[in-house]
Amino acid sequence: MGNLMSTSFAPECTDLKQKYDACFNYWYTEKFLKGKSVYNECEDLWADYKECIDIHLQKQGIKPMLDEARKEAPFENGGVPLEKANEK
Amino acid sequence: MKVFNSTQFYNYSWDYVSAANWCKYPNELSTHVVGVDVLRREFDPDKGTLTTERLITCKQPIPRWLMFLVGGQDKSYVREVSVIDRNQRTLTMRSCNLTMCKLLRVYETVVYRPDPVSPATRTRFDQVAEITAFASLRQLCDKLEDWSVERFGQNARKGKLGFDSVLKNLEEQWHGLAGKT
Repeated sequence: MGNLMSTSFAPECTDLKQKYDACFNYWYTEKFLKGKSVYNECEDLWADYKECIDIHLQKQGIKPMLDEARKEAPFENGGVPLEKANEK
Repeated sequence: MKVFNSTQFYNYSWDYVSAANWCKYPNELSTHVVGVDVLRREFDPDKGTLTTERLITCKQPIPRWLMFLVGGQDKSYVREVSVIDRNQRTLTMRSCNLTMCKLLRVYETVVYRPDPVSPATRTRFDQVAEITAFASLRQLCDKLEDWSVERFGQNARKGKLGFDSVLKNLEEQWHGLAGKT
């Protein structure tokens, strides 16, 4: 699936991203969906890719906006804003 | 706040749709999406859930009357957190704009799940977007004034340089005439 692959916001990271994506897409379809996997594979490729984007998130000034959004709607909360979670 | 609601169906299995979701971009219709990055991803084998945080980078022309608000910035960013539950067969994505979020916030929730009538071959898609503008008239006026002052300054500088060159060009002629009298 997917002959065309998306690029990174930082062109320098696109290669690493596409290597990781290829690994993940295979893992997702063949292992995750089939309930065959007990751990998140592709972690090594992920580490290289993440190292690259962390640098550029900082450089391009995206990091502060991201940190703010993470506080408002934490990952651990599945991205549900805290104010909404408190309403319930 | 304004709310946008939509329900759609895809004639494919949920498994297929959820896998294709990772390859949604690039596609020939959504050319405004120029980048998709995975920022964090965690798999919980006990619950059978996969949580992913992504950064979506967009480049979309905006209406001219809004231009002064964004100050010529051409890229915008959206943060998305998705949760896939492989036991329940649900994919829930929540996203919010990072750019200009002090002025306007678009909070979108999308859920893909198997259609209850034909779960093996059809997927239901529900989308809710809550759009909230925070900008007060005062803020907009401030922005408009800042932009106008800046533009006025630019034009004034151009005016000075333009007149300088006219003065320089006419100088010779002037002195020529003055010499004759």
